[in-house]
Amino acid sequence: MDFTATISGRRFRLAPDRVTHATADVLPDPLRDHYVVIGGRRYPPKQVIALVTGLDRADFTTHQARRILARLGFPVARRSNSARMSPGRGPSATPSPAEALRPYIGQWVATDGDEVLVGADSPAEVVSWLTRHNRRAQSMFRVPAGDAEAGGVAPL
Amino acid sequence: MEGIEVAPLGSLVDTGAVRTRFSRELAEVAGIQPDDSQTEDFAVGGQRIRGAPARVTLRLESDTAAHSWDAAIWFCEPWPFGFQLLGLDGFLRHFRVTISAYEEWLECRPESG
Repeated sequence: MDFTATISGRRFRLAPDRVTHATADVLPDPLRDHYVVIGGRRYPPKQVIALVTGLDRADFTTHQARRILARLGFPVARRSNSARMSPGRGPSATPSPAEALRPYIGQWVATDGDEVLVGADSPAEVVSWLTRHNRRAQSMFRVPAGDAEAGGVAPL
Repeated sequence: MEGIEVAPLGSLVDTGAVRTRFSRELAEVAGIQPDDSQTEDFAVGGQRIRGAPARVTLRLESDTAAHSWDAAIWFCEPWPFGFQLLGLDGFLRHFRVTISAYEEWLECRPESG
């Protein structure tokens, strides 16, 4: 699925594993409308292409970024219509809150309604992300890995 | 919780818990230093956990109302749970709580005393 794309007059050899690797340790920026799903997280398409190519985000459009990522096989969609995803690897309908949290098991997440704003390994990273992006969550919690972590046992 | 107002904490109201217990990681994020000289061990779900207290300001808010109070919170590690625990000291003593499990709502009214 590798291919060469010309972005802002420069040619880049792109491959799905390179995209996955580039985003592995990077928290997604706040989403506007369009997003791409990589490793169970939703990223703004321009953030991903900027990470992979090193280009400035002003050097290309969201639609260019979407097209390239879809061609690489990543599901791309719009928040206003997340039921329709392409190229078809994503959910067939808006995921339930539990499904939306599944990629974040064991992580701390900040949510706003049913939307996961950010997920990270520590609350410090989540709070830092919220502060950096001037966002306020509705709730922050750690996504439990099982019944014991979800319900616990009342301490004495 | 003071210091991390951007991230209200998802919490579990536990009418059977005496103390209010949060993850120690949250104290570090908020710049709160628990009093380690008062550290105590306890067991949760067969796991040994250590906790130390600190007085912090908590705030409970809805779309229409908000209430702040000072509370003794026990910051614990490890804290493998998905929730922060709201018990008698630190939470329930400050509110009159009504629970409708059937209708899935919970109402907290600040005690006036």
